[in-house]
Amino acid sequence: MEKPILRIRNLKTYFFTRRGTVRAVDGVDFDLLKGECLCLVGESGCGKTVTALSILGLIDSPPGRVVDGEIYYDNVNLLKCSPEQMRRLRGKEIAMVFQDAQSALNPVFTIGDQIAEQVKLHLGVGGGEARQRAVDLLGEVGIPSPEKEVDYYPHQLSGGMKQRAMIAMSLSCDPQVLIADEPTTAVDVTIKAQILDVFQRLRETRQMSLLFITHELGVVSEIGDRMVVMYAGRLAEAAAVTELLGDPKHPYTAGLIKCVPDITKTRDRLESIPGTVPSLIDPPRGCLFHPRCDQAMAICSQEKPPLTMVGKGHTVFCHLYNGIKGNGEQ
Amino acid sequence: MTNRLNRVKSVARKVGGIRRLILILMAVSLGTTALLDFFVVEKIFGPLVYLYIALSTIVGLYVIYPLYAGRRLTKYYWVRVKRNRLAVWGLGFILFLILLALIGPFFTADPTAVSFEEKNIPPLGFTIEESVYEPETEQFIAKTITATGEHPLGTDNKGRDLLAMIVSGAGVSLQVGLLATGIALTIGTLIGVMSAYLGGKMDNILMRLTDVMMAFPFFLLLVFIVFIFGPNLAFIVLVIGLTGWTGAARLIRSQTLSLRTREFVMASKALGASDSRIILAHLVPNVISLIIVMATLSIPGVILAEAALSFIGLGDPNVTSWGMVLRAGQQSLDTTWWVAVVPGVMLFLTVLAFNFVGDGLRDAFDPRSAL
Amino acid sequence: MVNNKLLEVKDLKKYYPVTGGLLARHLGDVRAVDGVSFYIKEGEALGLVGESGCGKSTLGRTILRLEEPTHGEIIYRGMDITKLDKKELRGLRKEIQIIFQDPQSFLDPRMTVGQSIGEALLIHGVKDDEERAQRVTETLERVGLEGQHALGYPHEFSSGQRQRIGIGRALILNPKLIIADEPVSALDVSIQAQILNLMLDLKEEFGLSYLFIAHDLSVIRQVSHRVAVMYLGKIVELADKDEIFENAIHPYTEALLSAVPGRRDPKKPRILLPGSVPSPLNPPSGCRFHTRCHRVLPICHEEEPQLGDVGGEHLVACHLYKS
Repeated sequence: MEKPILRIRNLKTYFFTRRGTVRAVDGVDFDLLKGECLCLVGESGCGKTVTALSILGLIDSPPGRVVDGEIYYDNVNLLKCSPEQMRRLRGKEIAMVFQDAQSALNPVFTIGDQIAEQVKLHLGVGGGEARQRAVDLLGEVGIPSPEKEVDYYPHQLSGGMKQRAMIAMSLSCDPQVLIADEPTTAVDVTIKAQILDVFQRLRETRQMSLLFITHELGVVSEIGDRMVVMYAGRLAEAAAVTELLGDPKHPYTAGLIKCVPDITKTRDRLESIPGTVPSLIDPPRGCLFHPRCDQAMAICSQEKPPLTMVGKGHTVFCHLYNGIKGNGEQ
Repeated sequence: MTNRLNRVKSVARKVGGIRRLILILMAVSLGTTALLDFFVVEKIFGPLVYLYIALSTIVGLYVIYPLYAGRRLTKYYWVRVKRNRLAVWGLGFILFLILLALIGPFFTADPTAVSFEEKNIPPLGFTIEESVYEPETEQFIAKTITATGEHPLGTDNKGRDLLAMIVSGAGVSLQVGLLATGIALTIGTLIGVMSAYLGGKMDNILMRLTDVMMAFPFFLLLVFIVFIFGPNLAFIVLVIGLTGWTGAARLIRSQTLSLRTREFVMASKALGASDSRIILAHLVPNVISLIIVMATLSIPGVILAEAALSFIGLGDPNVTSWGMVLRAGQQSLDTTWWVAVVPGVMLFLTVLAFNFVGDGLRDAFDPRSAL
Repeated sequence: MVNNKLLEVKDLKKYYPVTGGLLARHLGDVRAVDGVSFYIKEGEALGLVGESGCGKSTLGRTILRLEEPTHGEIIYRGMDITKLDKKELRGLRKEIQIIFQDPQSFLDPRMTVGQSIGEALLIHGVKDDEERAQRVTETLERVGLEGQHALGYPHEFSSGQRQRIGIGRALILNPKLIIADEPVSALDVSIQAQILNLMLDLKEEFGLSYLFIAHDLSVIRQVSHRVAVMYLGKIVELADKDEIFENAIHPYTEALLSAVPGRRDPKKPRILLPGSVPSPLNPPSGCRFHTRCHRVLPICHEEEPQLGDVGGEHLVACHLYKS
């Protein structure tokens, strides 16, 4: 069994605004094992990006703040690190690829310069070697003729190329953990395929752990080993990808899977989940999903659902399974 | 009664709404009065009054009324503005100025009343020593002048009560500010919106016109006008207004350009809306916030412009403005310092207040600023 | 209507001229839509799929004459609407409507929902306030909202609700054809399902036809009867939905289908297209797709393939197939 390289325990990140306290992440636990790809899944507003930013200490403070919890990277609690230590960690140990390549790349520098800057900063190498590393990295992410494109400005690259350049930038210092925030969301389907291919190859060639944030279940089924489903800032369910997609236990996960149109067949009507995501400022009592859940019971509006193991490595937060052990015993 | 009402309604419908009807009526009546004024009868209204009536009708119909009609939206923005303390202070100060200008004249002396016995009195709490020539002894002796409650801010070297002059100046600054800005922004909005929406050749023509206007030596024009017609506040207001619209036109044009590609404009077109409907019902209301912000931020510039003009002597001598007082006090800054300092401070605070309010409004209207 | 074709588009082109240089010389054209022909039957939904830059949105807007076509015919109910003057065009607005993609941007933030929806009625002569309010309420209820929502402003609603409002606005004039320009692309999956169901229900209830533009193939499969695939301004394949998804024959369609993320059949490796979409300013010679095609033939560099029927109204533009 692989050891966890990242352990998140009871993470709570709140945003203190004039309208109230937004509980963006409200008690989240999971582990990222060494060398695995863990998908953090959920719809907009569920807290997945905030979780990623909390790990890297990039929460805008004010108005946000990590109010509770621990984040262990290799046995070091990141939340107790000084800003200086975090700065040394970011990019070198834990790197992040953002969703919008357009705004993450600086338009006035060439991509080679931007990659080289990271390399020089963290690894202390000189200009020539840094540039060579940049060329190598661009080749690794599949950019054709990297020796030429290393001197291109972001606006000279197409969408897919920009995305690859951003991935190259994140890899520049050989991080142990790569956090990818919806890298395939805003792109066309053929580019999506290319980017997924890049990630697959990276996983094969590097011993890197990947925390992949997405809302697309198709992407999860393709690249994920395990997945964690979030809803309104809390966890709903976590398991190996094939297990969870094949046998979802939480009503939200089950509903979500049924909502996704299937490319292999047409249905008369799509299943949908009625209602909308609750307010994060004034969340409902008990289980956050209960107002939309067709299997809600009385207890669901009173108490937060506890964690239950419903199978090997398969956990769910739902009163339906309260007390049921993995082998079916009560 | 209802019959008459219905007839009015049908006429209004033909011209495009009640508001447009009122606007047309006002324009026609002002126009005829102006012609009569000019050619037939002597001076029915001073020129400033025309500007007032025209401007207040336009603002009332197209700025105030929409704010009332969309009360909930207005309230939403007002709540956001209130959060900015400086803006609220600014607003308070402006209200104070308005009160001062409206009610002050009833409680203060005549700012033009000259009285040589009461010259150079310092403001309350201060005393100065003045060197006075006594003809009897043919010597300069030091005389202390003390403040009196009659002139709480003191007097200038001609004995005019400073408080009265400041009050008068407040009124002048506000009027000039509001009127000139009103004119400039009305012109700027029309040109900016039309230019952006009609595009192509029209856009080119209007923008080149704007460039020419920008290069226009406003100062020279003013000196010229003063030379021909004599210094007159109304003309100053007109000149500032007629030359100051260029910045607004450009900004409003660029805002409108970005609005034009927004999907709701296209949706309106897809529903069959005419160009004029899109401009008036969609584009203008969405630039109103920009206009309001620009107005509050241009008013201080206008006020300072007028003050500067009066300071160098091109202002209207019949009108007591802060610039004029500054001019009166500039020579004796070392002795009767209050004559220059008080209007200076007032100008400073006024400009500051409008700038704070403008910034506050801009932040409140910006959907991206998280408030 | 001929053969109950509600809309027929013939050789439609939309070019955007590019000027440059000191004297604003005409340098070339961005060929956003470059000779597109298809038809939509009454009560049918035609799915139009393609990636960014293929011209599908431009096509949708040109059909509505929100953009003026450079060439070609658009025949609606037997009448060529490219020849209509302004007044007649207004009448057309009651027949063909459009729904947009971005819920943040397709509603005027300064108008209430009721005003936005009711604007259509105002433009087309319904001057009575009460009648408008009544019809607005009916429309809101039809799209799953409540009458009181008419007083709200867009920023007070969620994305899903705003899209319902957008649909309501398109619906209130009782059109027969709706151009849906990526209506669910900006919505979460669970909301997307709600909106798609709504659109399907409305289609049944009102006998609507859709031109459903999207880039998500699984959504297209759910909604359409027939599917057209666009690449760089041209339709490369057009067939019944099941034909396209089970029997796609154009190499680009094959690549698109194989690119959809999901567990792959190891026997069918994914086709990865090299490079990126060429510029519509200067499309490749011959078949536009030949620069990236995994089954390219020598003739593809020279000659542009025409859209031909390979049987059962399965149209494809490719030299690999004889029609």
